[in-house]
Amino acid sequence: MNVLQSREGPPANPNYDHRYDAIVVGAGLAGSAAAITMARDGLDVLLIERGSYPGAKNVFGGVMYTPTIRELVDIDSAPTERYVAERRYSMLTEEDEIAASVSIGDWHEPPHNDSFTVIRGDFDEWFAEQAVEEGATLITETTVTDLIREDGRIVGVETDRPDGAVRAPVVVLAEGGNSLVSESAGLKETDHREHIAVAVKEVLEFPGDSRKIIEDRFRLVDDDGAAYHYFGKGAVGDAFGGAFLYTNDDTISVGLAYRIEDAVTEKISPQDRLDEFKSHPAVAPIFRDARTVEYGAKTIPEGGASAMPELVHDGALLVGDTAGLVLNNGVHLEGTNMAVESGFHAGKAVVKAFGSKATPRPADAATAGTESAGQVRADGGVSNTTRPSVTVRASDLQSYPDSLEQSFVVENLEHYEWLINRVVEDKQLLFEDLPEALADAAAEYFTIDRQPKQTHGRLAKERIMHTVGGLRGAIKLGWRYRKMIR
Amino acid sequence: MTDNWTVLVGVKQVPDEDDVSIDPDTGTLNRAEAAAILNPPDKNALEAALRLKDEVGARVIAVTMGPPTATPVLELAVALGCDDGALISDYAFAGSDTWPTSLTLARAGEYFDADVFICGEETTDSSTGQVPPGIAAHLDWAQLTYVEELEPRPEDDQLAAVRDVEGGWERVVADLPVVVAVGYGENQPRPSGLHRKIYAENEFEPIELDAEELGIDADEVGLDASPTQVGGMDTASPVEREQELLDSVDDLAATLHKQEVV
Repeated sequence: MNVLQSREGPPANPNYDHRYDAIVVGAGLAGSAAAITMARDGLDVLLIERGSYPGAKNVFGGVMYTPTIRELVDIDSAPTERYVAERRYSMLTEEDEIAASVSIGDWHEPPHNDSFTVIRGDFDEWFAEQAVEEGATLITETTVTDLIREDGRIVGVETDRPDGAVRAPVVVLAEGGNSLVSESAGLKETDHREHIAVAVKEVLEFPGDSRKIIEDRFRLVDDDGAAYHYFGKGAVGDAFGGAFLYTNDDTISVGLAYRIEDAVTEKISPQDRLDEFKSHPAVAPIFRDARTVEYGAKTIPEGGASAMPELVHDGALLVGDTAGLVLNNGVHLEGTNMAVESGFHAGKAVVKAFGSKATPRPADAATAGTESAGQVRADGGVSNTTRPSVTVRASDLQSYPDSLEQSFVVENLEHYEWLINRVVEDKQLLFEDLPEALADAAAEYFTIDRQPKQTHGRLAKERIMHTVGGLRGAIKLGWRYRKMIR
Repeated sequence: MTDNWTVLVGVKQVPDEDDVSIDPDTGTLNRAEAAAILNPPDKNALEAALRLKDEVGARVIAVTMGPPTATPVLELAVALGCDDGALISDYAFAGSDTWPTSLTLARAGEYFDADVFICGEETTDSSTGQVPPGIAAHLDWAQLTYVEELEPRPEDDQLAAVRDVEGGWERVVADLPVVVAVGYGENQPRPSGLHRKIYAENEFEPIELDAEELGIDADEVGLDASPTQVGGMDTASPVEREQELLDSVDDLAATLHKQEVV
């Protein structure tokens, strides 16, 4: 009579326990990179994202560094905004600016120094799609609330949905900086507050031809982009951190990041601080007539190599921000490339672990001995079949921390850790006294009056030397930071 | 009736209203970029149908009219707990207004031998509310509109409904088969279960039906069979409301008296 008689409809109780080799928590850069890597090598991957789409929850600034992404996927089809053609570093006192701009001819040529401004809402959605194309299963609007443990090892995740537990031999935790699941499951300690930065960001557009206005104000041609970084009192007040300004295709991203400790102890809120920065006389003209189209805030882990948690556990791995893999040494502000790199190495380690475990693939799952009496559907569907459960121990995953150790990720984190510590010690000098001295000295040096130039030059030099503690102080300072250009 | 009830739920894919932006420079609506979502009132229809499944073991089938790109609304319906989903798709339906649309859905009701056909109150992209009564009219079935809650009476082949009426509510009992339009927001839709969601989004393939399979002639549906046409569209600019800030309640009372509001 009707099609229902001849049709094998949906199963009454579909069950995906043990259907996937790995569950990835969070479809950000680290999670999708892990998913792509594992799916490409034939593993069945379930990628769980809490946002309505991957990237929906992202508040990243930002410039994306793409060397590893380029290895994984076709970056040319990625939704990037502009490549970074100019980097500008600027010291702001309350009223003055001293800036250095770097624009390298080569940056205009592919691969554009692997530095692109992106809107992560677009980019992450695209990146997760690449994982789906490799065969991963993406589930959105689903929040992982806890890990399932059996005999001390992690065997799956609990979500906020009804019937919300799902089991798999490996769980990759890529939940971001605010890693509540990893922390509550005891896989990492709650970060110390001096290791966490707070970041706020606005996306702005201009009325009319926003793209053209941006190109005019930043002197950009075609897909050129600019990345401006600001330090000093005029950027973040007395806090330890900096402000940033990036050009997107037809919007600009502006924000600042500083230690959450400063946000707690200081009277001013991060959004008021951002407003103050935006009204600084050296930057305010850039924002003239701009209107805010997006506002967000997030936390950034920046504890460096010594704050890195244990990366592998029985049945689980930590990647990206969750593993504390963010570098912020003032000059370099990088996390995206390390997120991708860590996801890639974690994925490879899982593949390697499975190589020695040899699980049956779905096609032969029906004939292989299955752990529970799953009901095999007549149409060959496998939604109710299960596989033998596999145990993946931390020792099976050791190649992940090992290869990360050898990669640029840990090397960079370790190399710059001393720098961050020094900068914290010298904060007053570097971010306040010296910029003021430089501004005063510059004002002195360029003063137009009826005194000889030489007099202004001498006074300017004296002003700086006084601040750094004379010639001996200057030499000591240079020695303290010699490793920076090692 | 010995068999369990068959309950059809009509669902529709619409542009997300929250995503329809107004261009601040031209003041025009930008609907093209809006995400396609399940018509929000249909969530209440699905919930009402799934409660019938919970209460009397009804078999619930979601149906939608639209192109294959509308399949995600059926996936969502199956994720929520529907037993199956059918996509009614045919070039002949293009341009249909509420008359041929309700005719088509009525034929789907016959095709599946439905006992109850549940719809949302209206769709947010056209807001006529004509389709549920239209289905009932084409089939000559009873209809229960603006329903707050359903009370199944399978032993009597009847469905009772608490209806929202001016100043209160009434309980109406209808003989099967019956068309139901659930009031928007009258129940709390459930979230979909994790494993059903994975199944629905990754493995589920809907039943596909065209005009012929539903016994519909091409000249019964589509633009030519639609008695209404859109005459034109215009945008309204909001009128700036007058406002006055008053310091005290007494001032407010005095002002309201003076303006003869109270």
